[in-house]
Amino acid sequence: MVKFTIEEIRALMEYKNNIRNMSVIAHVDHGKSTLTDSLVAAAGIIAMEQAGDQRLTDTRADEQERGITIKSTGISLYYQMEEEKLKGFTKERQGNDFLVNLIDSPGHVDFSSEVTAALRITDGALVVVDCIEGVCVQTETVLRQALGERIRPVMTVNKIDRCFLELMLDPEEAFLSFRRVVENANVIMATYADEALGDTQVYPEAGTVSFSAGLHGWAFTLTVFAKLYAKKFGVEEKRMMEKLWGDNFFDPATKKWTNKPTNSATCKRGFCQFIYEPIKTVIEAAMNDNKEKLFGLLEKLEVLKKLKPEDKELMGKPLMKRVMQSWLPAADALLEMMIWHLPSPAMAQKYRVDVLYEGPLDDAYATAIRNCDPDGPLMMYVSKMIPASDKGRFYAFGRVFAGRIATGKKVRIMGPNYVPGTKKDLYVKTVQRTVLCMGRRQEAVEDVPCGNTVALVGLDQFITKNATLCDEKAEDAHTIKAMKFSVSPVVRVAVEPKVASDLPKLVEGLKRLAKSDPMVQCSIEETGEHIIAGAGELHLEICLKDLQDDFMGGAEIRVSEPVVAFRETVQGTSDHVVMSKSPNKHNRLYLQARPLEDGLAEAIDEGKIGPRDDPKVRSKILSEEFGWDKEIAKKIWCFGPDTMGPNMMVDMTKGVQYLNEIKDSCVAAFQWATKEGVMAEENMRGIAFEITDVVMHADAIHRGGGQIIPTCRRAMYAAELTAQPRLLEPTYLVEIQCPEQAMGGVYSVLNQKRGMVFEEMQRPGTPIFNLKAYLPVIESFGFTATLRAATGGQAFPQCVFDHWELMGADPLQAGSQTNTIVLDIRKRKGLKPEPSALSEYEDKERDRPGKGWVVREKVTRPGKTNKRP
Amino acid sequence: MVFYIIGLGLSDERDITVKGLEAVKRSERVYLEAYTSLLLVPKENLEGFYGKEVIVADREMVEMEADKILEGAAERDVSFLVVGDPFGATTHTDLELRARSQGIPVRVVHNASIMNAVGATGLQLYRFGEAVSIVFFTDTWRPDSFYDRIAANRRAGLHTLCLLDIKVKEPSLESLARGRKVYEPPRFMSVATAVQQLLEVEERRGKGAYGPETLAVGVARVGSESQRIVAGPLAALADVDFGPPLHSLVIAGETHPIEQEYLKQFMVDKVGLAAAGAAADAAGSGGVAVPQ
Repeated sequence: MVKFTIEEIRALMEYKNNIRNMSVIAHVDHGKSTLTDSLVAAAGIIAMEQAGDQRLTDTRADEQERGITIKSTGISLYYQMEEEKLKGFTKERQGNDFLVNLIDSPGHVDFSSEVTAALRITDGALVVVDCIEGVCVQTETVLRQALGERIRPVMTVNKIDRCFLELMLDPEEAFLSFRRVVENANVIMATYADEALGDTQVYPEAGTVSFSAGLHGWAFTLTVFAKLYAKKFGVEEKRMMEKLWGDNFFDPATKKWTNKPTNSATCKRGFCQFIYEPIKTVIEAAMNDNKEKLFGLLEKLEVLKKLKPEDKELMGKPLMKRVMQSWLPAADALLEMMIWHLPSPAMAQKYRVDVLYEGPLDDAYATAIRNCDPDGPLMMYVSKMIPASDKGRFYAFGRVFAGRIATGKKVRIMGPNYVPGTKKDLYVKTVQRTVLCMGRRQEAVEDVPCGNTVALVGLDQFITKNATLCDEKAEDAHTIKAMKFSVSPVVRVAVEPKVASDLPKLVEGLKRLAKSDPMVQCSIEETGEHIIAGAGELHLEICLKDLQDDFMGGAEIRVSEPVVAFRETVQGTSDHVVMSKSPNKHNRLYLQARPLEDGLAEAIDEGKIGPRDDPKVRSKILSEEFGWDKEIAKKIWCFGPDTMGPNMMVDMTKGVQYLNEIKDSCVAAFQWATKEGVMAEENMRGIAFEITDVVMHADAIHRGGGQIIPTCRRAMYAAELTAQPRLLEPTYLVEIQCPEQAMGGVYSVLNQKRGMVFEEMQRPGTPIFNLKAYLPVIESFGFTATLRAATGGQAFPQCVFDHWELMGADPLQAGSQTNTIVLDIRKRKGLKPEPSALSEYEDKERDRPGKGWVVREKVTRPGKTNKRP
Repeated sequence: MVFYIIGLGLSDERDITVKGLEAVKRSERVYLEAYTSLLLVPKENLEGFYGKEVIVADREMVEMEADKILEGAAERDVSFLVVGDPFGATTHTDLELRARSQGIPVRVVHNASIMNAVGATGLQLYRFGEAVSIVFFTDTWRPDSFYDRIAANRRAGLHTLCLLDIKVKEPSLESLARGRKVYEPPRFMSVATAVQQLLEVEERRGKGAYGPETLAVGVARVGSESQRIVAGPLAALADVDFGPPLHSLVIAGETHPIEQEYLKQFMVDKVGLAAAGAAADAAGSGGVAVPQ
């Protein structure tokens, strides 16, 4: 049944111009996995009859049951292009055989991190959009991510069979609907365009948009029809393509093309007349079992000879499916589109290297990536870990960007926390086996050259979620940039085993869970609670199921009510400069806190501003976009928590000697304090801590970490407390689709859940409304179920994390809404019931009863008067 | 009554002054500060000699729970024992200020400190500049501000006393940043380590404040019977085994002829060979040109 051998695929891997790495991305339920089936069927892995039903890339039982994709799955396809189809193909190629490494990714927002991991290792994306539902919130999210990674998109307008069979749209309506989908998608692409990619918009007349019916396994691009009619009309294919889309009308009576409809009854739009109507005729004939007419038509289209005798015996829908598959096979149209319009690794890595490589862009590694050089030094990025059939083990799945990886090769594994020149997060290990992913199957191969995706066996103990691999001796290699996720793990649950003796199983299981999902975070609280944090309710549900069934061997666990992570921030500048003394009282730190400017925290989240920027560039952005003083902008000490978080520490001191000796201690304290804020030990967000002055002991021995770290942390807490501290709560953007009559129910549920509608739009030509609203994450548990109940199952919500919303109430005011939240969190975390008072963190100037700074100068400066003779 | 801060001197229990001993005997509670310096004998010796229980006060107790130490000192006598001199190299001014703010009378009993006992090297105390501490370098923390001070001292022709780091019950930095305290094992810096760090900093700064050939004097256990003093070029001292703690180091400035004469008895070629140790041998053969 399999049309190709693993050897053939392996051989093709050497031809870097004949490879296409691509992911299939879309909103949930727009038909990605179903469409992928058609492609796989063409490659001969599953039978054509089953295409559309099998969902080969949904490898997990729960994926099959729920009918949604949860994990992204890779599959390699071998495709032979007919010589004729390559006519006019100007890109470099070696022969007619092409290798398509395809990754099917989930559409549900809760699993966006899987999409991120898939995009990193591909160069092109097939964006699937439902022709009726159009561009949805997740379509936009994934497109934005794709363009951010410099992934070139092509698009398919899917489920067009619904236009013929279900909605009975007339040709003009269908055309307008398709055109709107394409235009909406192009608006997004124009918004997030990256100059290095050039024009990323898609055009049907250029062949970068196809129209497909994934469920029935057929699809076409305008190219297919242009070829057909070009012969008939005797015009060039390219000219014909243009006539088949947009405002081009043809009147068979006069045999004239116009760009406006004439008043003649026979004048129709090119697309309608030459594409939509013929398809409609064939479908209708097949569905009505009008075989005489059908076979006549097929004869003309030269399709009849492709039908097997038994196919002709079919009736109704199966007949229609068979006929359409023979006439317009989905795989041909889609693969042709990908091969023609998506870049090969050799092309893509030329411009992707800038956004991929962390190190200098002119070193040996960057050069090898840029040239996709199989003989260069190895550079591979592991983007995710895939559970192996051998329980508890994982494949490290990723993409080779330069050099080649082989079974038995010794590699340097640089984790996400690796710092060049140190041994942190660094291992040197041997690859036990290199394998290719073929949906549910894996095939071992000897080695894999750059430009391909590959799975590795034997490294799972050394890689948590992702890593950069390079040659054993390549000590000067830098890492490939960490992936930026579009969602945050804002929903958390605590888990514990039902039987206490299962605790070791739980601990081990959590470790495995952390590996298996690109985003889930597993941690242990001070209280000993085991916490799992995920993107949303569904994501957590899947994680918990995996944990229990796959990673703990079915041992039962108890799960707490979901809780939401808050953030601590400040609303104003500290009302006075706070001071804390070190334990030995000889060091004093003077600090104040203030909120970061609007949009700055988000800019840090997005990586626009970060610890690794060139300070000059950063200072330019900060002064031009956020109104910072240029000099001060150069004095940012660090970001945090976790060195990249949206808080900053800024040195505003003047002329303090040896400040650099305590900088590391302050940075360590800052990382700690921003991770555990003063109110509820939640992360801080959007706070700038300004060190205004420092008084140090004259001698280094009395200002070590032991003295400075606790002091700096206390000073930061005091600064937070004096700057009108507030809580931020995570908020979803929820998009709801429902018919008009269900709107009342939707609004009442939203009101009850503190939701806020900010956009309401009727989808043109349908009775369906699109609502957009903000919904606090904490209210989202059970939201879907409540909404379904209130609307008789007619409303479908999609929640995606949007922003952190400031809660106005003062958390330090007893009895306020936020105060209750703070107390709850503290109770849950096992902290002492109330946040400590300011006096706990701020020290008094013993020797300056109201005399101001002058006294301090006099009293403490002698320690620093080491003037040279 | 009175809060006594009493210097213990340098080596053992018998170095306490008569006045200090009387105060101790009168006191209800006796604390021993045991983290900024170190007595060369265990606290049991002290207890035996004073006939009193001695409470060891570690850094956390002194810095965080000072009030506990001062408790009741208004009604009864409390003694706080400090190795060396109370206001010598260590800094207990804060404790005194606290006591005073509570209206407790404070009396200080002085004693010898390394700050003056270093005169045993023959270098004149009048000719010393600012003292510096040399702390253990870690991967991330390598404070070298002492370099500027030594440079300034040397420019003025002054000697520099280098106090060497001691770590008794210090929480590790890693554990501090995580909020839990895990203590590192006690460590004392040897002359050899100090020389190594000093030379590393010179190499990095390159301003020529001192060099491997600069005359220096290493001292160990000053004031005790096993006291050891070795003088020589800085680099050569790295190879001398000074034995158990505590160690200090003097980087000499311009030397007076009398100072030179006195130092001669400690020169590394003489004592090194005489006092035994293969390490000293190696150092001795390295050639010892005393800079004039």
